[in-house]
Amino acid sequence: MSLALIVILPFLGAVLPALMIRSGRAACALSAAWVTILALGLLLTHVPAVLRGEVIQVGWEWIPALGLNVNFFLDGLGLLFAGLILGIGLLVMIYARFYLAKDDPMGNFYTYLLLFQGAMVGIVLSDNILLLLIFWELTSLTSFLLIGYWRHLPEGRQGARMALIVTGSGGLALIAGMLLLGNIVGSYDLTDILQHDPYEIHNSPLYVPALLLILIGCFTKSAQFPFHFWLPHAMAAPTPVSAYLHSATMVKAGVFLLARLWPVLSGPDIWFYLVATTGLVTMVVGAYIALFKDDLKGLLAFSTVSHLGMMTMLLGFATPMAAAVAVFHIINHATFKAALFMNAGIIDHETGTRDTKKLGGLLLLMPITATLAVIAGASMAGLPPLNGFLSKEMMLAEVNQTAWFGQGWLLPLVVTAGALLSVAYSFRYVVHVFFGPQRDDYPSKPHDPPAGLWLPPAFLVGLVVLIGLFPDAIAGDLVRATTAAVTQGGAPDVHLYLWHGFTPALLMSVIAVAGGALAIWRYERVRAWWYAGPHPEAKAMFDRVVAAAIASSKRLVLGLHNGSLQRYLALMISAALVLGFAGFFTATHGSGARPLLSASPVAAIIWLVLLAGCGMVIRYQRDRLLAVIGVGVVGLIVAAMFVYFSAPDLAMTQISVEVVTTILILLALYFLPKETPVESSPMRRRRDAVLAGLTGLGTGGLAWAVMTRDFTSLSSFYLENAHDLGGGDNVVNVILVDFRGFDTFGEIIVLGIAGLTIFALLHAMTRGELYRRLGAWQLDMTKSADRHPMLMVVITRVMLPLVLLVGVYIFLRGHNMPGGGFIAGLVVAIGLIMQYMASGYGWAAQRMTINYHAFIGGGVLIAAVTGIGAMIIGYPFLTGAFDYFSLPVIGKFEVASALGFDIGVFLTVVGGVMLALAHLSDLGRWVSHAPVNEQPMDTLPGAERRHGEGSE
Amino acid sequence: MTSQFLPLLPEITLAIGACVVLVVDLFVPAERRDTTYLLALAALVATLVATVVGQPDGVRILFGGSYIADPMSRLLKLAVIVLTFFVFVYSRPYLAGRGLYNGEFFALGLFGLLGMLIMISGYSMLTVYLGLELLSLCQYALVAFNRDSPRASEAAMKYFVLGAFASGMLLYGMSLIYGLTGSLEVIEIHNYLIRNGVDQIGALLGLIFIIVGLSFKLGAVPFHAWVPDVYEGAPTAVALYIASAPKVAAFALFMRMLAEGLGVLQADWQVMLAVLAVLSLVLGNVVAIAQTNLKRMLAYSTISHVGFILLGILAGTAQGYSAAMFYVIFYAMVTAGAFGMIILLSRRGLEAEQLEDFRGLNARSPWFALMMLFIMFSMAGVPPFAGFYAKLSVLRAVVQVDEIWLAIVAVVFSVVGAFYYLRVVKLMYFDEPVETGAFQEGGGLRAALSVNGLSMLALGLYPAALMSWCVAAVSW
Repeated sequence: MSLALIVILPFLGAVLPALMIRSGRAACALSAAWVTILALGLLLTHVPAVLRGEVIQVGWEWIPALGLNVNFFLDGLGLLFAGLILGIGLLVMIYARFYLAKDDPMGNFYTYLLLFQGAMVGIVLSDNILLLLIFWELTSLTSFLLIGYWRHLPEGRQGARMALIVTGSGGLALIAGMLLLGNIVGSYDLTDILQHDPYEIHNSPLYVPALLLILIGCFTKSAQFPFHFWLPHAMAAPTPVSAYLHSATMVKAGVFLLARLWPVLSGPDIWFYLVATTGLVTMVVGAYIALFKDDLKGLLAFSTVSHLGMMTMLLGFATPMAAAVAVFHIINHATFKAALFMNAGIIDHETGTRDTKKLGGLLLLMPITATLAVIAGASMAGLPPLNGFLSKEMMLAEVNQTAWFGQGWLLPLVVTAGALLSVAYSFRYVVHVFFGPQRDDYPSKPHDPPAGLWLPPAFLVGLVVLIGLFPDAIAGDLVRATTAAVTQGGAPDVHLYLWHGFTPALLMSVIAVAGGALAIWRYERVRAWWYAGPHPEAKAMFDRVVAAAIASSKRLVLGLHNGSLQRYLALMISAALVLGFAGFFTATHGSGARPLLSASPVAAIIWLVLLAGCGMVIRYQRDRLLAVIGVGVVGLIVAAMFVYFSAPDLAMTQISVEVVTTILILLALYFLPKETPVESSPMRRRRDAVLAGLTGLGTGGLAWAVMTRDFTSLSSFYLENAHDLGGGDNVVNVILVDFRGFDTFGEIIVLGIAGLTIFALLHAMTRGELYRRLGAWQLDMTKSADRHPMLMVVITRVMLPLVLLVGVYIFLRGHNMPGGGFIAGLVVAIGLIMQYMASGYGWAAQRMTINYHAFIGGGVLIAAVTGIGAMIIGYPFLTGAFDYFSLPVIGKFEVASALGFDIGVFLTVVGGVMLALAHLSDLGRWVSHAPVNEQPMDTLPGAERRHGEGSE
Repeated sequence: MTSQFLPLLPEITLAIGACVVLVVDLFVPAERRDTTYLLALAALVATLVATVVGQPDGVRILFGGSYIADPMSRLLKLAVIVLTFFVFVYSRPYLAGRGLYNGEFFALGLFGLLGMLIMISGYSMLTVYLGLELLSLCQYALVAFNRDSPRASEAAMKYFVLGAFASGMLLYGMSLIYGLTGSLEVIEIHNYLIRNGVDQIGALLGLIFIIVGLSFKLGAVPFHAWVPDVYEGAPTAVALYIASAPKVAAFALFMRMLAEGLGVLQADWQVMLAVLAVLSLVLGNVVAIAQTNLKRMLAYSTISHVGFILLGILAGTAQGYSAAMFYVIFYAMVTAGAFGMIILLSRRGLEAEQLEDFRGLNARSPWFALMMLFIMFSMAGVPPFAGFYAKLSVLRAVVQVDEIWLAIVAVVFSVVGAFYYLRVVKLMYFDEPVETGAFQEGGGLRAALSVNGLSMLALGLYPAALMSWCVAAVSW
């Protein structure tokens, strides 16, 4: 329980500083420090048990569906890191109290710091890898807030963003890697994973991808080459943050995870070559860059990169002893590097600059600071008798026993070079800042800081010396417990002592120290040499990568989303085509086994005409009238096809619908230019032709493949039951008004609404702005002088009664023979609309004072009443009923309730079509300027001319 | 009889409510438009109550197999109703400030919601299609809602033409399946395919065209072209509506058609969805980088999120379905929040849809900058926000069916995605504000935004609340 409390305390305590800041800065800092002390105290209570080798566990289920549990456990490794995090955290908090300026918002600072601390402790104590990931990302977030704390510095912002992007991205990779690892093991609990047989993990096909992803996460977090570039730029943060995040804790999270997963991931060659090589390269590259950094914090940052590389390399060796050395070096590095960071902060704070070129000769001006720097710097350089020397010697001993690609000499050589550089930059830090002549141009007068600033680093320097002198007494137990935890039982018997005797490692050390001293003595020459060579700036490269990504993204946008609807459609159709053809060829797509019908010569002619019609539409598509005629031909041929396939109902519907739509198009054509302008380039037309051709091929092929196979037909049900259940012999009509009456009911409502909508739209055109524009519009074509041709007028008028009669006939016979309300409605509507077209709107409207709105409403109502009638007698809506009656003279006939429904259909169709078409023809009046044949053959003398007709 | 209609109560309530809003609005003078607004909210609350209270548990298939009420439909309905509620609250001040505060917005919104409910509960291809078209038509009209804006008209035109095409594809696919199986009902189609095997060209091609149609509605690459143009062209309030709840309904369509109806063809649709998902992830994330318009950026981010949702579906396991469901609900919530932020920052004469408009938001309003931070982190999938669990559960489902490379692609492009989400955060926190005008008025907007932002954190801290619900919803 107290284990969870250690993690939760910083989070809970994070509100304290924000509240306490009102009581003053000291109270604010103290509240944060007390939270840390409490957590540290809780941790210390577990020390004896952990050093005995016990593992303390506590946990609850959180989201079992995801395998995510809130489990914590504490072993040696966790204890080491938690101790570092809380201990150095405490020192940093004290230090920051004196470091931050008066106008820095201190409450926020401590809140962020505590949140960060909680997240870090969470990482090292989590027993569930998913939980660990959450804390992992939380450290990225909180560090983002801390790095960007000084908002007025632009580098701070840049640095914060780059740090977040690099580590955040690495975190996402880590998520994937952890998921894979969890998948291999079958559990997301670390204790389960660590108990798992490593060989099984190594042999899993998922091992390599999992390893790569986890390594990306670790390397980005620990700033390993080639991800090392973000760390120095994060140095814009206030120095306490740098000391805490970028030396002691956050950057070690990657190393921590490598150590944590060491038992299950290390072993195979790929681990050695990836991890050890990365560590080696980082160690050398980091040290090399550090040597030439003028910014003290930049120097320390790259030195941190270098030391992290060394730890990574040691873990990469995959031997228990190397792991033990890595653990020991983690402790040592944390002590001297945090001390140095605080030291750099003091120099910055007191002199106003961190630039080595502006410093020097501070030894006598700041004696305490100088003493601390010299000791910590010597430890970083690896000089005896300090702790840095110890771990470096042990590291060199390990290196001497390791062959890289079978070459035993290679590693020691490169590592010695790295150590040499390391000595050089350590010396440089000390020499260029504290030695040399005193200057008179320090930005502010240097003197030693208040005790609050130098005590925390002094405490750490004390540790540096003590561990150096009495390593086994102070750190021995901790290193042994931690190594046992890292290696999971394979721990060697580690003993730490200062003097190892004259070994090859000592020789390498001596070379390194001598070389390093030489490099500093002749620093100007070395530096000139460096200037001549290439030194790629990682940040510029990062920026270039970002710029390149944005540029390529822009190109993609231009290619795909240029705003052209035609292109969108072409892309969509192409994609559908690709999918369709892929599916077509995947499935068995050959011709089916159904016998084919033989085609009669008549049919062949029909098809040819159909093709000709289609060709005509394509050829004359710009000439609107010819195109409409072509479309009409196609429609009529389709009707003929229905006749050929013995579907008279469909044929009749097709013909009447065809006529109505053609009239509609013709009416609309009146307002359009005769020819469509050419808008598309030949290239695009060719592209569209190809797409259309392929689409046709695909659809045709599919239709062929499907229709030549056997299928279950629905028609038999209707054929068998139409008469018995629906009381009609015309199956189509029975389906329409009875079996699927509900559909028809919906359809007539839609038709009615469509009619009303067209009416509303057209009506709006006879008012306001649109009306004015319409009135001012001049037709640019010559019109027939004979506006209402006599022949046409006579024929339509003579035809009208006949058409009405046919309509009634078709309606009445509909239930048993081809026909029905829908077709009848269309036929009647055609008859009526002909009057408008032939004799003019004014003439027709005067005589047909029918309210088509009422037709629509009445039709829908009648249909509904018929349906509800069925409900009244206890059947579902629209259940059909029929009976036979006999009347004298006429004989026996049938009355079905469907008849009432069909009347409704009829009325709605007539109303809807007339409302739309009549008003479209009405609209033509507004643009007609020539008063020709105003009232053709009007036999009604003295009739008033309707408003607005003719010219104005 | 009554029991037949009881599960339909939400739809019936909503249909009545929408009609009432439409009619009452005719008689409400423009200065008292709030009446319409409140009525619309009341209709939503009534529908919500009808969805939650007194509904029978378990699975009920009604009306001859064309309607289903099951745990999934209840959860998704709840989600779309609540989301629409938020959309209305966000939209009110936006519309009021631009002379767009008309009853039609709410009426169309409600009818669109009705379409969504029907999509969610439709269990025959016909019902599903009707719901889909009802929703689509409302959306087309809404996009063109601001008739004075040429951009909006252009967007509506494109949306309509492309949408009609996609609907045609969908119908073509459905008709092939209908022709093959002789049934429109999902359950019958399923049974037929089990009985007669799936090695039939009609089944495969029908599946393909259904996927084409559905992918368009969801906005998956390469059927995504409408998304950025519509988001940018439509008034923000409408883009908000289109971007949020309808995706949940589209997800339901995927579940009904693919998982339930054509589940036997899983091997086939898995491959297709994998292609679509990868394309969506790649294109959405890569193109989003270059965007300077936040609405367009959100459009491409939508596309990439769709990739994730498809990944969950294609896993084809209960775990994958529940993960995708969690994801789509999370996505709709977070997107609503992002658009809400755009509305908050906008005012007459400033649409606030450029990334630049978010510069220095922290200096202007720390609270709403924090809410936007929650939203952006959620989208990026950073713990402990909701998006992390959404991504995590999808990835886990994908890994468990051994589609490792899909998981890796998803992760790689999430990393790319994190870049542009975090850019917004950087602008808000580290840049100086260029825009210092007042925010959009409206207490309701602010309260709702706060709830929305905090829900991302709450759902992140306690995802089990929704997760267990999603798991229960797909445990057939």
